Amino acid sequence: MIRTLCLLLLVMCANASAVTLEQLQQRFASQPVIRANFVQVRTIEGMAQPLVSRGQLLIAQQQGLWWQQVTPFPLMLILDDKRMVQSMSGQPPQVITAESNPQMFQFNHLLRALFQADEKVLRENFELDFHDRGNNRWQLGLTPKAAPLNRIFSRIDLQGDAFLNRITLDDKQGDKTEITLSDTRTEPTQLTDEERARFAPAQ
Amino acid sequence: MKSEPVLPQRSEKTVALLWLAVCLALAVALAVLLPRSQLNSSVLALLPQQNLGQAPAEIQHGFMQRLDRQLVWLVSANDQEGEAAAAWWQAQLHALPMLKQVSGELKDDQMQRWGAYAFQHRNGLIDAATRARLQNGGGAQADWILAQLFSAFAGVGSKEIGNDPLLLVRGAQLALQQNDNKMLLHNGWLTVNDAQQRRWYFLHGELASNAFSIKESHQLVTALNQLELQFKTRWPDAQLLTRGTVLFSDDASQRAQHDVETLGSVTLAGLLLLVWLVFRSLRPLALCALSVAIGAMAGTVLTLLCFGELHLTTLVMSLSIVGISADYTLYYLTERMVHGEDATPWQSLHKVRGTLLLALGTTAIAWLLMLLAPFPGLRQLAVFAASGLSASCLTVICFYPWLVRGLPVRPIPAMVWLARWLAAWRRNNWLKRGLPALVAIYAISGMLQLHVDDDIAHLQSAPAKLLAQDRQLAQLTGQQADQTWFVVWGDDEQQALQRLSALTPTLQQAQQQGWFAHYRVLPLSSLAQQQQDVALLQQAAPTILERLKQAGITVAKADLSAMPVTVGDWLASPLSEGWRLLWLSLPDGRSSVLVPIGGVKNSAALQQLASQQAGVSWVDRKASYDELFRFWRTLLSGLLALALLLITASYMLRLGVKAGMRSALPSWLSLAAALATLGWIGASLNLFALLALILVLGIGINYTLFFSNPRGTPLTSMLAVTLAMMTTLLTLGMLVFSSTAAISGFGTVLCSGIFCAFLLAPLALAPGKRKQR
Repeated sequence: MIRTLCLLLLVMCANASAVTLEQLQQRFASQPVIRANFVQVRTIEGMAQPLVSRGQLLIAQQQGLWWQQVTPFPLMLILDDKRMVQSMSGQPPQVITAESNPQMFQFNHLLRALFQADEKVLRENFELDFHDRGNNRWQLGLTPKAAPLNRIFSRIDLQGDAFLNRITLDDKQGDKTEITLSDTRTEPTQLTDEERARFAPAQ
Repeated sequence: MKSEPVLPQRSEKTVALLWLAVCLALAVALAVLLPRSQLNSSVLALLPQQNLGQAPAEIQHGFMQRLDRQLVWLVSANDQEGEAAAAWWQAQLHALPMLKQVSGELKDDQMQRWGAYAFQHRNGLIDAATRARLQNGGGAQADWILAQLFSAFAGVGSKEIGNDPLLLVRGAQLALQQNDNKMLLHNGWLTVNDAQQRRWYFLHGELASNAFSIKESHQLVTALNQLELQFKTRWPDAQLLTRGTVLFSDDASQRAQHDVETLGSVTLAGLLLLVWLVFRSLRPLALCALSVAIGAMAGTVLTLLCFGELHLTTLVMSLSIVGISADYTLYYLTERMVHGEDATPWQSLHKVRGTLLLALGTTAIAWLLMLLAPFPGLRQLAVFAASGLSASCLTVICFYPWLVRGLPVRPIPAMVWLARWLAAWRRNNWLKRGLPALVAIYAISGMLQLHVDDDIAHLQSAPAKLLAQDRQLAQLTGQQADQTWFVVWGDDEQQALQRLSALTPTLQQAQQQGWFAHYRVLPLSSLAQQQQDVALLQQAAPTILERLKQAGITVAKADLSAMPVTVGDWLASPLSEGWRLLWLSLPDGRSSVLVPIGGVKNSAALQQLASQQAGVSWVDRKASYDELFRFWRTLLSGLLALALLLITASYMLRLGVKAGMRSALPSWLSLAAALATLGWIGASLNLFALLALILVLGIGINYTLFFSNPRGTPLTSMLAVTLAMMTTLLTLGMLVFSSTAAISGFGTVLCSGIFCAFLLAPLALAPGKRKQR
């Protein structure tokens, strides 16, 4: 009985916010390529100062996520449907494929879904809590539903207006990661040749 | 012929009493042995004990036995119900007493213990990638730690970096996950997603004991089937996949038992009917039963003495022995039925004794040739048949003259037809030349269509449902059933581990060469390696911490003490979950580890690779079975040809060239015709067909010998051979209907060969010899 009630409430809530989340979804769908600068601040408890890194990122609906950290040291991440590659100078790239390590890959894939606010993937893994903040601004709160996510994160928040502006990850240990995007560009809507080459399978 | 004794002599009484004593001794032995013996139904036991490089036999045996105990399930249901369905199934499995170590859902504390163990032993569990980063001062490890810290995707938390500043646990865990594994952890369950994104829950269990009897296996399989029905009623949309050797062996033994029950009873009924029709007396039935029973008893006792167990297939195949051992009784009784009025039982016995012993000798030799085959099941059969037949024959010779007194004397049934057939063989050149020519044409045209097939998979006739289930499971989990692996062994645990770490780099190279797709190496280092690792850590740690400090990161001091992990500890820890099946230690300390290899492309190269390493052997079970099948088929073909030549030569020496050739012709043609039948029905030549040919040769010779017995009368021989042929077809003919492909092919070759041998046996009649009766 209680379960039915909860379910009912959930459906009603989902309905109440569905229109705006749907709109958001449509907005994101109309942006096949997003380029932005990022600042990431990782606050780790017990560490005197937060870890701040800066760089550029590129999200392409077809190809995936390209993440280029420039400072304090170069570090590149590529995340597509099949693999995640982490490269840094002087080391063999660390490749995680969906085949070899579905566990970790699934997790990374989910993080990519955050950047695209992929509703289907998000809804599968999180309780969604959508708020309209007015002035075209919105906030989407995510609470993980199942293990292993609910052991890692207590909450994830997405904020934005026309674009996604900020992602905040609160983990269970009290650590926090905040990624702020700026200078977001959607033109050209196609990848340039150079950009396309970044996703080439060669590591 | 005047020296033939009319009445029994003292020596014959002694022989009979002696044989009686032997029979009683056999009965006592049987009573002692049988309750302690077990009936083996494992299909694998029928296959050769593999000669796998130099890996100790106990190790191979241990691995195989353990592998055969494993059971795996995948459960899938509609979205939300999958977990409930899997949990229900796990609870049901737990309740089965025949299973142990049923595992499915991992409890939270299990995962915590996993983490705790990995942490407490992090300095002893260093993986190859971390080891490489620690070399040359440890700069690479420092860079890697920084990358992990800065990456949001890596998610290094305060607890982790605080407790394990060198991120050793993380490194080892990443290395572990690089291992070939399609499983995902979902809410404490190991799961795997299929192409349709349907989630399957993984469960595992083990048979509670090694020595699972046929009955226990069947109980288990029945119980599982019932549970599956309940499962399907509860969750109609759910799916359940099961894998386990026990399913296949139960299926095989159930079919074999079915064969024994139905074919056995049909055979028995047919035999009884035949004997009654010919002799019109119950006594021959009793006598047949007596010699068969003593034969079976002797066969069982000797097999149990030699092997300590009886294979189910031996029992099935011994159906054929019933038919052959009845031949001896029938030959003697035919002689008595025809000549019972003008000869004493002992005179009759002396008439047939030489032929009986000659026949026994050739048949027994044919069976004993099978001892050469590397199949434990066939060896049992050979011992069973040779000893059983000898006992049956001796029973006829020692007891029957005492037991046939008063047997009704009757004219030969169907005498006219038999006499005409014989007369035609003597007089009609068309038959004499034409029939062999016809058989030769049949044989040659059939043999031209014959093809050779040594693929062991084609002999298995497991039901399609089991195979489909197995395939689907293999596809989902990536755990193929084509057992290909390296066996690495050593005199003790540490030597095995050292050899394993020596093998690992060559495996990486082989993988890059494309010889195989993936492999799994036990994530445990030898104690010596662990010591080196700790030294390396102590060397590298100051540099690493300094580099982190430069990057503005202060971490706690790393604990650099040795944290040795012994094999025993590791096996008892939650860390070895999913790996334990790969490790085996014998009571004497010798130890071995398996390295499963998937997607093998170049088995020969891997074989070569193994031979270059100490204590490593390459196992490709199917390929080596195919190879063994081919080897033994070729060897037996050679032996068979040799036997044929020897027999022909002995005939020629005894009877002269021309008559000798004529006597040998039925053997040659019957073998050829048997092969031709395989060609005509589109079956292929394999080892089992060859084994049947050996029997065709042995039994076919009986017929020729009965005819060429200079003391016998052709008409009596004709009747005896006809009876023998009919009993053989009744028994071996039944094997054609066996549901096991190998046995049915065996039956086909035997039937066609023996019928042909019967047709042509009168060729051995001396052409000028007067018809005596």
